[in-house]
Amino acid sequence: MGRYIIRRLLQAIPLLILLTIFMFILIHLMPGGPEQVLFNPHMSAAARQEMRVRFGLTDPLPIQYLKWLGQTLTGNFGFSYADNLQVSYLLGQRFPATLQLFIPAFALALILALFLGVISAVRQGSITDYGLTTISYFGIAMPAFLLGLALQYVFGVWLHILPTSGTASFGTNFTPFGAFLDHIQHLILPVLTLAALSIAGWSRYMRSSTIEVIKQDYMRTARAKGVGPFTVLFRHALRNAVIPLITVVAIDFGAIAGGATITEGVFAWPGMGSLFFSSLAARDYPVLLAILTIGGTLVIMFNLIADILYGVMDPRIRYA
Amino acid sequence: MEIFEQINLNQTAVTPDELEPLLEETVELVQKRRSQGRIIFDRFMRNRTAVFGLLFLILMVLFCYFGPTVTSHNKPDLLHPIPLNAVLEGGLRPTLQYPFGTDDVGHDWLARAMAGGQISLLVGLSSMLIAIILGIGIGSVAGFFGGIVDNLLMRFTDVFLSVPLYLLLFVLSATFTDGSPKSIIILIAALSWMYTARLVRGEFLALKEREYVLAARTIGARNFHLMFRHILPNAAGPIIVSATLLVGNNIILESVLSFFGFGIQPPTASWGNMINLGDNLFDVNPLLVFIPGMLIFLTVLSFNLVGDGLRDALDPYMTER
Amino acid sequence: MGEYLLEVQDLKTYFKVRAGRVRAVDGVSFGVRPGEKVGVVGESGCGKSVTALSIMRLLPKPAGEYAGGGILFDDQDLLDLSEREMRRIRGGKIGMIFQDPMTCLNPTMTVGKQIGEALRIHLKLDKDEAQKRAISLLQQVGIPAAEERVNSYPHQFSGGMRQRVMIAIALACNPKLLIADEPTTALDVTVQAQILELINGVCSDFGTAVILITHDLGVVAGMCDRVVVMYAGKVVETATTNELFANPRHPYTLGLLASVPRLDEKRHAQLKTIEGAPPNLIKPPSGCPFMPRCTFARAICRTNPPLDPVEGNANHLKACWVNVTDPKEQAYAERRRLARSEKQQAVVKEIAASMLEEK
Repeated sequence: MGRYIIRRLLQAIPLLILLTIFMFILIHLMPGGPEQVLFNPHMSAAARQEMRVRFGLTDPLPIQYLKWLGQTLTGNFGFSYADNLQVSYLLGQRFPATLQLFIPAFALALILALFLGVISAVRQGSITDYGLTTISYFGIAMPAFLLGLALQYVFGVWLHILPTSGTASFGTNFTPFGAFLDHIQHLILPVLTLAALSIAGWSRYMRSSTIEVIKQDYMRTARAKGVGPFTVLFRHALRNAVIPLITVVAIDFGAIAGGATITEGVFAWPGMGSLFFSSLAARDYPVLLAILTIGGTLVIMFNLIADILYGVMDPRIRYA
Repeated sequence: MEIFEQINLNQTAVTPDELEPLLEETVELVQKRRSQGRIIFDRFMRNRTAVFGLLFLILMVLFCYFGPTVTSHNKPDLLHPIPLNAVLEGGLRPTLQYPFGTDDVGHDWLARAMAGGQISLLVGLSSMLIAIILGIGIGSVAGFFGGIVDNLLMRFTDVFLSVPLYLLLFVLSATFTDGSPKSIIILIAALSWMYTARLVRGEFLALKEREYVLAARTIGARNFHLMFRHILPNAAGPIIVSATLLVGNNIILESVLSFFGFGIQPPTASWGNMINLGDNLFDVNPLLVFIPGMLIFLTVLSFNLVGDGLRDALDPYMTER
Repeated sequence: MGEYLLEVQDLKTYFKVRAGRVRAVDGVSFGVRPGEKVGVVGESGCGKSVTALSIMRLLPKPAGEYAGGGILFDDQDLLDLSEREMRRIRGGKIGMIFQDPMTCLNPTMTVGKQIGEALRIHLKLDKDEAQKRAISLLQQVGIPAAEERVNSYPHQFSGGMRQRVMIAIALACNPKLLIADEPTTALDVTVQAQILELINGVCSDFGTAVILITHDLGVVAGMCDRVVVMYAGKVVETATTNELFANPRHPYTLGLLASVPRLDEKRHAQLKTIEGAPPNLIKPPSGCPFMPRCTFARAICRTNPPLDPVEGNANHLKACWVNVTDPKEQAYAERRRLARSEKQQAVVKEIAASMLEEK
């Protein structure tokens, strides 16, 4: 098992490096260039040259890359062009907000998808199954931002019971507990939006996986042993059905990260997604590069975790 | 079509003593075999939701491409004069003259919906075609030749897969596109070929070990011939399903891009940038957002239903006995 | 309890399919005495596996349904029991092993846990006791290094080993009856013999009755006390093994026995087969199901013959109107057979000629 993990880790590293090179080149291809952002039009040529040197822009690209890589590995993402703040500071500021969105949405999506998928599979062909499958079809066809807008309209504008943007209501003076509740209220719609798309896809996958497993011979063996229906479901079926889902969830991480960005855009949620948009508009390269790199690294990490989990849950992989 | 008959035995047995004569009959079976294409077609047709999806898509194509000429709502860029109070309300509500209403500067929302549909469908389908071709190209080479080639190509694919898709999409569109459908098509295609490549690679890896490939090799078939005349037709099923689902996916990608201002730029209409336009007036006139939204949703849903219907119809267990 | 541990009485099990109802088991009766080994023989599709599943009430739902009859086990009708009561019987009083050992074990659970599951449910053992007993069971079924192997996963065992594990699971709680559904069909010939020996030995040691389902007459001859021959969902003959092989009385049994190649046959002689195919079970013909293929058939066979004792032997039952030992009948049947094969060859030649013409 240890060997398996190490092997996967070693495979991941070159991928990471390739990824960073890719990102770096990409950012530097963007039109406008850092010069447009940094330079005050009234600056003299000498001052510009000094700025260039100061920001390391005179070095050839590979050198710039290596310098950047070295800095990044120590956690220093450089300085934002727009604010002249440390990028890592900016990221640190925004990260908790994104986390608040991401973790509940992910957990909700996973739990619901498992639950709904299994119910659908066990009651295959029934009205429940039909209804749940239809809903999941809807969820897959709906673009995330559209769902967000729809929820905003229904709950915010029409029913007027939930706030539609930001993290806190304006012009209010809450007690700490009240502020907490208010914050939670603001969290509901974005979390729902982010979770919805994943639930749809994952529950369908779980459903088909569970249906496949239920047909297997070892399920019949278990029943021939006299095992009760719930135990049969949980101990025998689920354990096997969940395994393919792990891969799907891991692969989807990139999509969820993108979805989080979009959701933050729609709901004006001050997290890393909003930072991404504003940096994109301002051509703030260090920030963009940092976000892309972190995003890519997390995707690779999640894939790695998924592979390890796969090995844990499926002994055939472990002892291959 | 072949006709199989089973042997029809008719025999009279004359027996000694009191035993009665006996007429035997065995069942005569005449089986007609349907062609494979017909089988798949019938199975698809039996799936009602898939058929609905297909019908809806046909209607949508007619709506977008023939609608403008038929209904004379063919000027999506024209600013129609509207009364002032309508401007404050975010545009006219639907009337007979403007069935989808207008926005606050007088765009005929129906005309824009149809024009936008043309663009969105075009982007979705073209980007799918390019992505499929790219994906088949890379995946087939990787899967067929294996070894280092496979390794390199898959690493390359993995890099693309490792970046959060939407982030890359936004960055690339800011960098490379100019708002024209062509650039968007290329961009979306460049970011959606990976799934097909993976799929095709998997199919090729599996199918190249089959006996018929070995048989073809022994009579001296060359690689390209093997890949595209033997293996690819057998991998066609999952590829077709994936392609159908990809169109829906790409339409969503285009709409996301355009919604955030990165995709198709006005005055060219697309469902995505219609929502972008309408978002500013969301509070007063939500129809501006929801009409193109519903169009996107229903179109993508239909593509998904058709794709799933095809998947069921193309199921490997499709031979008739 | 009467003399029988298990008594199947006129069992009917049907399956609902789109085209109608498949009469998989259509009036099957037989009994198994305690400690007895009964073989159930028949070709594929004759209903033997469905009979076994019916006894265990493991029919696939929703398609499978009971359409009549009873299954008496230990003086209880299994068809009257609630699902919960039936679960106590499954694994506890009746154990079952299936055909394909490669897929019958849960790949994500250790072998020890799978054996232990049965122990903990029925004998209420705790984790450690279950583990210990699992090790001992593995030793009994002939798995070497049982203490280590008890924590291995199914994919680490070969096919024969996995079947041994299945046997261990089925016999873990010392059931009174073991149902073995083609346990050796999917195994190598050499392993087959070992597995059969194992079943034979263990069941004799513990006094477990066995229902051995197979299509292989050789297996039956080696192991079973009595044989039940099934065709198209009905029992056509039943007798003790020796009696059946020495004195078969049903045309189908005759055909089965004749089709087994013998070492003392002439070389290059044509293998004997039973012509034709089993009937459609959705719309079975009234009358004897074997009639279309039978060389002894007569007009009276349009009525389904009852399963009655053969003259002089109350333990040998057959479902046939004809006395196949009568030389007159035998001559008639032989003539029939020759005429049929001639006619068949003529028709085949005709079709071949016409197909060549088409080309």
